[in-house]
Amino acid sequence: MGFLAPWFLGGLLALGVPVFVHLLRRHVTVPRPVGSLMFFERGTQSSTKHRRLKYLLLFALRAALVLLVVLAFANPFVKRPAANPAGRLLMIVLDNSYSMRAGTRFNDAKREALEMLAKRTGSQRAQVIALGGQVQVLTQLTDDGTQLRSAVESTQPGDGHASYGELARTLRSLREGSRQPADLHLFSDVQKSAMPASFADMVMPADVALTLHQVAKGSPTENWTVGSVDAPAEIADVKDPKQSRARVTVTGFHARAAKKSVSLLVNGHVVATKQVDVPENGSATVEFAPLDVAYGFNRCEARIDGGDSFAADDVSYFAIRRSDPEKVLFLHGIGDTRSEVYYGSALAAAARASFTLQSTSAAAANDLDPSRFAFVVLSDAVSLPSIFEHNLQDYVQKGGNVLIALGTAAGHHARIPLWGSDVKNTHSYSANAPAMVGQVDFTHPALQDAQPGRDNGGWAEAKIFYAAQVDAANTRVLARLNDGTPLLLDRAMGEGHVLLLTTGFDNLTNDLPLHPVFVAFVDRSARYLAGAERLAGSRMVDSFVTLRSGNASTANVEVIDPDAKRALSLEEARTAQTFHLERTGFYSVHFASGRDAVIGVNANRLESDLEPMPQDLQQLWAGSNGGETQEKAAVAGVAKFQRVSLWWWVMLLALLVVLAETALSGSYMATQREDA
Amino acid sequence: MQRFLQPAVLSAISSLDLLAKTVVDGFVAGLHRSPDFGFSQEFAEYRAYTPGDDLRHVDWNLYGRTDRTYIKRYRGETNSQLTVLLDASNSMQLANADVSKMDYARYLAASLFYLAIKRQRDAAGLIVFDDEVREYVRPSARAGQMARLLAGLEHAEPRARTDFGKPLHHFQQLLHRRGIAVVVSDFYEEPDLIVKTIEPLRFHGNEVVLFHVLDPQEVRMELKSASVLVDLETDQRIEVIPEYAKTTYRQKMQTHIETLQSKARAAGLGYRLLLTDQPLDHALREYLTLRQMGNV
Repeated sequence: MGFLAPWFLGGLLALGVPVFVHLLRRHVTVPRPVGSLMFFERGTQSSTKHRRLKYLLLFALRAALVLLVVLAFANPFVKRPAANPAGRLLMIVLDNSYSMRAGTRFNDAKREALEMLAKRTGSQRAQVIALGGQVQVLTQLTDDGTQLRSAVESTQPGDGHASYGELARTLRSLREGSRQPADLHLFSDVQKSAMPASFADMVMPADVALTLHQVAKGSPTENWTVGSVDAPAEIADVKDPKQSRARVTVTGFHARAAKKSVSLLVNGHVVATKQVDVPENGSATVEFAPLDVAYGFNRCEARIDGGDSFAADDVSYFAIRRSDPEKVLFLHGIGDTRSEVYYGSALAAAARASFTLQSTSAAAANDLDPSRFAFVVLSDAVSLPSIFEHNLQDYVQKGGNVLIALGTAAGHHARIPLWGSDVKNTHSYSANAPAMVGQVDFTHPALQDAQPGRDNGGWAEAKIFYAAQVDAANTRVLARLNDGTPLLLDRAMGEGHVLLLTTGFDNLTNDLPLHPVFVAFVDRSARYLAGAERLAGSRMVDSFVTLRSGNASTANVEVIDPDAKRALSLEEARTAQTFHLERTGFYSVHFASGRDAVIGVNANRLESDLEPMPQDLQQLWAGSNGGETQEKAAVAGVAKFQRVSLWWWVMLLALLVVLAETALSGSYMATQREDA
Repeated sequence: MQRFLQPAVLSAISSLDLLAKTVVDGFVAGLHRSPDFGFSQEFAEYRAYTPGDDLRHVDWNLYGRTDRTYIKRYRGETNSQLTVLLDASNSMQLANADVSKMDYARYLAASLFYLAIKRQRDAAGLIVFDDEVREYVRPSARAGQMARLLAGLEHAEPRARTDFGKPLHHFQQLLHRRGIAVVVSDFYEEPDLIVKTIEPLRFHGNEVVLFHVLDPQEVRMELKSASVLVDLETDQRIEVIPEYAKTTYRQKMQTHIETLQSKARAAGLGYRLLLTDQPLDHALREYLTLRQMGNV
């Protein structure tokens, strides 16, 4: 027996308090006066003795209470021989993340896991867990050796990015309510890049003894990978040097300086090969231009020549869709003549968009069919012909997107077409004190900016003189003015979206068109509204694709995986909202809105860094939960003990003593009051 | 409306004079409705005039009709003498109820004095004693006597122990004229000794009445738990258990009261038990009864 926090034993000095109160302090008793004692006789029961006994009992209870509280803080424990292996659970965690594809790592890990299962005694219950992009529990706790072996043997290397933090979180939830201690054996390459930002996140539960089985020991092998590919998802003019190019970055991890050849493959055919000098542990970029791709979807790969043990990451997949420039319908109000100039110029200047603007007055839109356009822009056009507005609503419900800019006409005509609510109010700011853009949601595709600077991605310089106040219910507010007025809102309607800018595109209501951020905004919002980002390009493994926007839609969706097989069952094809991209390669997707897409999926490049966790960190992780690993016990050659903390029982006892003391002192106080 | 004020209410009246007036006026007002008692100067008898009689009492109307001189006598004209013997020992300061036994005795004495002097024009005197005579106010009906008596009561603070022998012996020497002697005490003494000590007062033709003043708690003692009791006179302490107080003590006290009452009555002494939570009218009624008996 011992104490985990013996310093708290100093609190035993507090025992002096009940000693002083009960034994040192004189008790004052108040005798009761009577006129004469001539009719009284001394009682046979000594009240003083009775009280003294009561005092002693109370003193003992109070002293015991102090003692127990101090003991609870000191956290006493007893050492017990660890439960026999049959009493401990065996948890086999097999790392099947992308990096395990390197060399023979995965096979080694699988072999070691099977050996561990073979050592298991027949009655010991075990569980097999796969650690990939997601933590998968492959079996329930069972002592069925056949089931456990087949679970290990059937596990295949995945393309996900492992996270030890995710593993610890899953184990914590698995261990909830279980009192049986467990031995966890992790068969992994113990990749450093799989560590979470905080070490505390990967600490195992207290009753889980972690043993690491590192399958790739020694210094990390050199590895080159295609770090990133910068290519347009959609291209209209293959001869446009600004658009028609692909920049491939080659990165080396723990690699010497080397000359690597990079090939660009389009639909399986090598169209170009270039040499690039990759510095030691650095990156180099090579550009392929022009991209001579055919109309429709093109499955492109950037591939580097071999030479390292991790061949799987030598290729990067991306899709390019070639089409004629799409038309954008721009409807403006009667008095709004400048907006078309500013918006059209920005759209033309955008590097990645390939759209042609068709501008017309809102009043003349009666015969137009919105479905012929990539998206529709309403600039200060608050009054639409009813037939066209109806068509526009159908267009949005079926997956079309509309951008609405509210100019000064919104102040006179409160109704906003399509939006479903009216203009509540309008704010006019003076030229001397214009409103500024306060908050911007850079995570939205229409405003995406990975690292906005101090100028709020350029938005901080824009001055807003006029803005309409609209109902922001059921919408995502993408930008706000510094007085809280929503500036840009996104509302999902059916399969489509409506973006609402509460100010205009001209330079009368704001000076936004005069700033460079306007071009970037028009470019990104145009791509978002045209759906180009969803239809091609590349994604990361373990990301999700939104198949349908609304719950009401029952149109079938279809997903063809890299093996050219249907990834969804018939039931899922009718109901699935999203799809999990869990493998590298090309996915073909048919959305509920009727559009098609080809998406190239690549593994997280953190998996390409094969550097293992430092040895001291591994030891710290294995011993971080306070338990002793079996390995240490085996080395010491002594029986394994475990400390069983008794503080909970001590506190329970203290609670009982408190109740007894309360009852006794309560009755004593009641007696004193009656006597008084 | 309450006819007689409770002692607890009386304790709020600081002036003994006013207190006595309040008690007695209320009491007398009640008597008018009672057919049993009459103490006003009602006609009693005619008696033949004898030389030496006061000529003011001759019924001259009768003389005019019969040519004989008769003296007209009234009931109330016979003056009596009231002497209150007040026990001021320490045991009288016990106050479990709203008023202490000493205060209750003071109210009682003051009310008797008021009734005697103001209403009956009797002489009244006071002897305050414990183990000796501490205060003596000679009986008198003169003006200012009431103030002297009340001052004597005010000064009577509980002190020392009770000893009936010495003060009563002194009292016997002081009594030269028959009257009513009222002994107010808690009588914590053997009944035989009390009666034996007080009985000689009867020999002088006095009507003697014992007002036994006790606290209600003394009669119906209750203890919640074993307690230490201290004797107010001797300062002796003993521990007593509730069962004893509830059974044996009550029996002993009851026996004491009954014995004292029977022995007093046997010796021709009046006896009245007064608890400090009772109104004072019992005592006043007793006094008037005795006085009437004496006159008749």
